[in-house]
Amino acid sequence: MAHVDHSKPLEYATEENDLKIFGFWVFLGAEIMLFGTLFASYFALVDRTGTGPTAAEIFEIGPVLAETFILLASSFTIGLAIHAMRLGSKKATLTFMGITLALGLAFLSVEMYEFVHYVHVGAGITVSAFTSILLTTLGTHGLHVTLGFFWGLSIMIQIAKRGFTPATANKTFIFSLYWHFLDVVWIFIFSFVYLKGMM
Amino acid sequence: MEFFERFMVPHPSFLIYMSMVLIALVSIALVAVVTYFKLWGYLWREWFTTVDHKKIGIMYLITALLMLFRGGVDAVMLRYQLSMPENAFLTAQHYNEVFTTHGVVMILFMAMPFITFFFNFLVPLQIGARDVAFPRLNLISFWLFFMGAMLFNLSFVIGGSPDAGWTSYFPLADNEFSTSVGTNYYMIAIQIAGIGTLITGINFITTIMKMRAPGMTLFKMPMFTWSALIANLIIVFAFPVLTVALAMGAMDRLFDTKFFAIGDGGMDMLWANLFWVWGHPEVYILILPAFGLFSEIIPTFARRNLYGYNAMVWSMILISVLSFTVWTHHFFTMGQGAMTNSIFSITTMLIAIPTGIKIFNWLFTLYKGKIVMTTPMLYSMHFIPLFTLGGVTGVMLAMSAADYQYHNTMFLVAHFHNVIIPGVVYAMLAGLTFYWPKMFGFMLNERIGKATVWVMSTGFVLAFIPMYITGLDGQARRMYTYSEATGFTTLNMVSFIGAAIMAVSFGMLVWNIWYSFKNSPRNIGSDPWNARGLEWATHTPIPSYNFAITPDVTNASSEAFWDMKKNGVEIFKGDIKKIHMPNYSGLPFVMGVFFFILGFAMIFSMWIVAIIGLIGVLGCMVYRTFEKDEGFYIPEEEVKATEKKYEEMYKKRGDK
Amino acid sequence: MAKFFPIGQVMGFVFSLVLTFVALLVYFTDMSMKTGMIVLLVTAFLQAGLQFMIFMHAGETKDKWSIYSNIAYGFGLVIITVLGTLLILLWDMDM
Repeated sequence: MAHVDHSKPLEYATEENDLKIFGFWVFLGAEIMLFGTLFASYFALVDRTGTGPTAAEIFEIGPVLAETFILLASSFTIGLAIHAMRLGSKKATLTFMGITLALGLAFLSVEMYEFVHYVHVGAGITVSAFTSILLTTLGTHGLHVTLGFFWGLSIMIQIAKRGFTPATANKTFIFSLYWHFLDVVWIFIFSFVYLKGMM
Repeated sequence: MEFFERFMVPHPSFLIYMSMVLIALVSIALVAVVTYFKLWGYLWREWFTTVDHKKIGIMYLITALLMLFRGGVDAVMLRYQLSMPENAFLTAQHYNEVFTTHGVVMILFMAMPFITFFFNFLVPLQIGARDVAFPRLNLISFWLFFMGAMLFNLSFVIGGSPDAGWTSYFPLADNEFSTSVGTNYYMIAIQIAGIGTLITGINFITTIMKMRAPGMTLFKMPMFTWSALIANLIIVFAFPVLTVALAMGAMDRLFDTKFFAIGDGGMDMLWANLFWVWGHPEVYILILPAFGLFSEIIPTFARRNLYGYNAMVWSMILISVLSFTVWTHHFFTMGQGAMTNSIFSITTMLIAIPTGIKIFNWLFTLYKGKIVMTTPMLYSMHFIPLFTLGGVTGVMLAMSAADYQYHNTMFLVAHFHNVIIPGVVYAMLAGLTFYWPKMFGFMLNERIGKATVWVMSTGFVLAFIPMYITGLDGQARRMYTYSEATGFTTLNMVSFIGAAIMAVSFGMLVWNIWYSFKNSPRNIGSDPWNARGLEWATHTPIPSYNFAITPDVTNASSEAFWDMKKNGVEIFKGDIKKIHMPNYSGLPFVMGVFFFILGFAMIFSMWIVAIIGLIGVLGCMVYRTFEKDEGFYIPEEEVKATEKKYEEMYKKRGDK
Repeated sequence: MAKFFPIGQVMGFVFSLVLTFVALLVYFTDMSMKTGMIVLLVTAFLQAGLQFMIFMHAGETKDKWSIYSNIAYGFGLVIITVLGTLLILLWDMDM
């Protein structure tokens, strides 16, 4: 229906698509501020452990490394998915997206293990201001990954059923922006929550 | 039994029972009227599901006016309580609830929708667009905002109103000291409305950055559109802070987390900090669109173009950054050191500079202008001196050392009402009067309108100037009564009289709408004020597609319509073509209802119902992502036929 | 197969792994708090820039300056908020 401009990649091909990508960038600006606020709160509360454990006492390098490399890899594969989409290969796109989502699921499993571990060592969310903000910051990121997982799944179904249309290509591209952004957030969590906490 | 007790209002009084009965009667009457006239179908098809930015705007307007009266009644009650020493009209608890809801309702549910109404109604017209970038998202914004507002107002009859002040500082707002569900309402209702506002921000930035008419460079945008762009930019970066703060507050109350708790490492000051990281930019979100409206009105009635366009724009850009650097001045007395206070004192004084530049620009616009004193212009003329007074007392408060004296006194209350009422409220009413004919096809009566302005300003001065004096004498804010020995009696009585006079002026506004609806002529054409902006270049009532031909302002200035009228610049070039339009949708309303259920259930910790609401919200999103919706085209012939109808209508009515 | 692995993105991935290992030095070696924080700040912001430029194609359309300024504005405000919060609540608070 809408006018399709074939000189551009499919995800930018209609005016509506162009608007959606721009709008999503603006949304990411809001997300930067959202996580920025969580970081500000985290830094304010990190040493306020009350009677609960401190950061250095509960962090474990193993799961953190696993999560970091899994998420970095998934950010790479979703980039490859977009590249494959621009080459017009439906099979490759779906494969790379599938790998991305599988990695996302692996990340969530490790995070789940991590949360259980925290509760076990007496760092549940109600223990101290530190545990509250720690689990809220990690949880907000984890919730984003969870939502992203189901969102990505629904896009994969749409690509499989409808092929590459301006609409599906647009959604895939926007999903990739979201997923990369979650990786950016994780890098900051990895550096300033975990590494700084264990330094 | 305990389960049901939470739904009762904890401190009922005769007044509350009376209001409950009134609310119930009005609601039943509304439903009965709509049913009797068989209007449900019409409302659903034409309003609840509309994606037309003009209609969504009008829905915001109606909500804002309703909330203005709710907040206004609160205000009169507060002033009456204080008009006499040892007055027993309100109890301490009830007084707490009234000033809390007065603040929240006026800022978040009156001023915010009022400016959003102007964003919606004006921005697409001013930039020559068919609609906003994401019309359906726009409707979602509205329903989230509306459901948030209704949820908040529900606290009045179910469970009790919030009572910790509109700032809801911890530890007062924690379960220990605020035992009713009132503060849960605060945390969750504002959250839902806030998400709607954030979406509005994203929508309008995209609209303004991407959908301007051909030839409209950034520095040729009308001034209101500039102010809307900057305000929405601030919305997008400030509201996430509120989202986080409210989420943390809600978790402290519902899940016993320890962010702001007294023990276990919690830090109550973090709430104050986060609240004002959002709260100060919020002030500029409100005032910038108000400035934008005055910048549209003053040149129109000074009959010359706006003085210092570039200075106006750059001062707003400067404000967009500076507004995020001053928040500490809301809590100079919290305990941080003199160095921090000094830094934030200086940034606060700095932000007065761009604001001062704007005042001078308006004055220079008036200088040598041929001023026509219409109602909107009269509001603007009252705005300049009154607002400047508020600005100057603001600079007094900005001095952190002196602020120890003013802090939490009536002086502060006088200051912020002194900027918000002549600034925001006058701008809203001036804009409403100015654009009323564009919306509804008739003008508001000028004589009643001007009288309203004078009555309102009289009331305003009587109500708020005394507070400066009692504040300096030490009358604390939020105290529900005082003894005669303090000597505050006379001035507080004057204040009450002022508030009552303001209430009369709002009554006059309503009367004016009714009177003009009955008596005003309808053959006023599409440009009754001899205005200047692109928004006046289309028909009245505005067709759903706004402009039959997309305007091209390459050869025009930021006042394209004026250039067309006076200098013969051609802005409608080419032929009428088919027009692409978005489809109406019921999904946003359904989603809003699920958000309402989710919010209500969370307030009362009814987790099963909350999960149902959440599933509903997510279900709406899933439905949306699989839906195919490509809009529709209005065929060329239909556009031509509509345009012809307007010509015939103008001829028949004898419009100019 | 090679066409599915563009050199730019592969190099980007390798570079991000390298940055991660550099950041890990603060854990595996004995650094002062100050040096450690500098290393973390540099690696984290480089990583973020990498994601935005290479993976997210932030600069590929004519909107690139809007997008860049949006992100820069966001990061700027976050820095102001974080530093301001810490200044008020920790560094300059008499407790």
